[in-house]
Amino acid sequence: MKIGLEIHVQLPTRSKMFCSCPTTDAEAPNTHVCPTCLGMPGSRPVLNRKVLEYGIMLAKMLGCRVADTTWFSRKTYFYPDMSKSVQITQYDNPVGEGGVYYLNGKKPIRITRIHIEEDPGKTKRVGDQSSLVDYNRSGIPLAEIVTEPDIATPAEAREFLGQLIADIRHVIDLPGDGERSIRCDCNISVGKERCEVKNVTGLKNVERALTFEMVRQTKILKAGGKIERETRRFDEERGVTISVRKKEFEADYGYIDEPDLGVYHIRELADSIRIKESPLKMTLRLSDQYGIDQKMSKQLVTTSVGLAEMFETVARDVDVPNAIKWVAGPISANWRSLESRGADTETLVGIIRRFASGEITDTECGMEIKCHMTGEDRDSVQGASEGLDTLINQYLDENPAVVTDYQKNEKAANKVIGFVMKNSGGQYSSAEVVEATKRLIESRI
Amino acid sequence: MRSYGLSEIRAINGKYSMFHAMTEEEPSEGRFHFSAKDNLTSKGMETCSGSRILEGYRPAFDATSIERMKAAGGELIGKTNMDEFGFGTFSTNSGLEVPRNPFDLERACGGSSGGSACAAAVFEDHVSLGVSTGGSICCPASFCGVYGIAPTYGRVSRYGLIDYGNSLDKIGVLSSKATDLRKYIGVMAGKDERDPTSCAQPELGDSHVKLGSVAVPMEGVEGLSKDVEAAFRSALVELERMGVDVEYVNMPSLKYAMPAYYVLATSEASTNLARYVGMRYGQQEGDLSLKFDDYFTSFRSEYFGDEAKRRILLGTFTRMVGFRDRYYAKALQVRKVVIDDYKRVLADHDAVLAPTMPFTAPRFDDISKMSALDSYKADYLTIPANIAGTPHMSVPCGYDSDGMPIGMQFVADHWNEEVLFSIAEDWEREFELRRPEVVA
Repeated sequence: MKIGLEIHVQLPTRSKMFCSCPTTDAEAPNTHVCPTCLGMPGSRPVLNRKVLEYGIMLAKMLGCRVADTTWFSRKTYFYPDMSKSVQITQYDNPVGEGGVYYLNGKKPIRITRIHIEEDPGKTKRVGDQSSLVDYNRSGIPLAEIVTEPDIATPAEAREFLGQLIADIRHVIDLPGDGERSIRCDCNISVGKERCEVKNVTGLKNVERALTFEMVRQTKILKAGGKIERETRRFDEERGVTISVRKKEFEADYGYIDEPDLGVYHIRELADSIRIKESPLKMTLRLSDQYGIDQKMSKQLVTTSVGLAEMFETVARDVDVPNAIKWVAGPISANWRSLESRGADTETLVGIIRRFASGEITDTECGMEIKCHMTGEDRDSVQGASEGLDTLINQYLDENPAVVTDYQKNEKAANKVIGFVMKNSGGQYSSAEVVEATKRLIESRI
Repeated sequence: MRSYGLSEIRAINGKYSMFHAMTEEEPSEGRFHFSAKDNLTSKGMETCSGSRILEGYRPAFDATSIERMKAAGGELIGKTNMDEFGFGTFSTNSGLEVPRNPFDLERACGGSSGGSACAAAVFEDHVSLGVSTGGSICCPASFCGVYGIAPTYGRVSRYGLIDYGNSLDKIGVLSSKATDLRKYIGVMAGKDERDPTSCAQPELGDSHVKLGSVAVPMEGVEGLSKDVEAAFRSALVELERMGVDVEYVNMPSLKYAMPAYYVLATSEASTNLARYVGMRYGQQEGDLSLKFDDYFTSFRSEYFGDEAKRRILLGTFTRMVGFRDRYYAKALQVRKVVIDDYKRVLADHDAVLAPTMPFTAPRFDDISKMSALDSYKADYLTIPANIAGTPHMSVPCGYDSDGMPIGMQFVADHWNEEVLFSIAEDWEREFELRRPEVVA
């Protein structure tokens, strides 16, 4: 089985791709519009340079060759929400070609190309007889990433998308909310011929649509039938794919170069752009560089890149064991409250340094860290943490087998955690409970 | 300065049909009058580009060219009739009114900026904005006996131009006064952020350049009518008397310009015209009970003229998979060859010169007997400079036995409009321009 994806990502510019209309969610339909994004006769596109920059960033992130020159093309098709009946997209010389993405840092998924284009508006059906069109989305910039058919299963497609999107969000500061969703065209072939499922929204639906297609195609082939090359769509409610058009009716978009925009020489721009390390790459590097378990580095990075950076600071300024003991421990457990209070991290490094030099004890260090991160005073922190410790120790005293079980399988700690969560009335955050449980079990080994 | 009142403008238009929309208010005192081709958007004034499909379109914005003319003290008095979207040589391919030649009402003004040439010839102290894609300024200037210039591609912002072929369209000026060319191209030229293709231009030169030599391509003096040939020969003699060297040259690429032009122009046009589906603006009287595909198909069948349909079909064909490389990509290569040919000749000469049109303004009844191909062929002299994007200008140079005007066309190198301005100004002092007798 072969699966290839075409992934549409909305780029986080403040204004649209070819006009100065805002890209934020509008209060009412057809309010974030102007002659250009409405395609009024006489209007003309002017490229938002930021779109080109984002395109190049993603091309670099995916290890693509970035072209020296790039330009736009017109793709002609008639649909009510396409205001010019022409979409400005890229055909020849897109921003990036020939990249590769390593799934889980290992399996290569080849990237055919990445190009930038404008989004059409939205059509909304009202009743049986009519539809309404909203052009607020018309002209919002998108990047389209096309993969080779290197994905083996629907589950792998979902996994790949999840990692890719996390990386993209990180590299171009993509917010993870509302309208800014990811849309995907999924190509899948069980036998020789492939089908394309258009415009699937969300990770879960991609897996569902592909699974349905896999089963459908397998059944046809087993029964001695032939798969017809066609375009299908996914019905989210019923979880099925439905044929839209056969291959012989595939549209010929009659691409020509966009004469209003000309050719962009992007070599210098591309050379000047540095991209941030992706979360996956950071996870692998931390594990490699500091000799820590990948599970731990992943936990650090997924909690927050800021936390992972804190780990690196302590590892560098103090030492690795203290970074593991404190950053992966209580600091990780209280990270959210530190972020929400906007407290500084330098103080924490100072506290750990004082512990490392023997100035303060283990308990004092833990206490000071918690006080700084949560903003609570010493007494309440002490009381709370003593209360939590007492509760856990009580359980461990009554169930000593947990400690021996834990040595075989860390999941044994879940029993303790479950007990504490249930009997503490939501007083402690789950991160805190996990941290304290592991600490106390390990102290008994 | 001669100024016209509202009733006078209406009466004159009643005779010549140069305008589709006209000003509805009495023109204010002290401002110069201008008109603009109806494919340039004018805020609040109906803009149809000669098409029924745009009837009722009142743009929300002025084209940059119109905005700059107004800012320079101009009063827009009317929008000039034209071939639908610029698709024609005689301004007869129109869904609206057809302008009549000021020298003979039974004859065409030329196209596609026919109404602009007509207005420039009929009204005194009047300048008209035209648009040229393949010769649409020079052809009607020649047929109506006025000066007309299409500057270098990218010289005047196309913001607000209703597109025909975006890589070819140029906004220019028509007037019975040679000095208006320098003046009003000067008003409209210059970078405009709203049209990126206008932002690469060097500054417009404004000095007077004495014409030293012209090259006359052998390919440009073939197939001419007897009167045109005679008028052109005597113009050459006059130029030599003025001290200009005239040399005949070969420009073999010129004959490939026309097929390449029709491929590029129609390919672009077919994508530009895709937006007219009877929604959002202009004409919207379609059968709403139909599904979208059926609705826009029946709507376009009803409101596009035959020539628009022909060019959509041609242009769609040449960009389809399997034909794209054979036609569209090849035409792009031909454009480069034509440009190189001009560069080669203009390295040794100040301008390339040939008659503008092979014949004088034809009668409407003769036009109705012409095939589409016949009228395409009539543009063989104006197309090469247009596909090359080089500035070019038609200058009146004589009259035929019926008194119909004859023009000759000078082509200069890219961005070198000042040579053309200077030629027109020097020529105007030597040539006796005839004005049509205007009776409203």
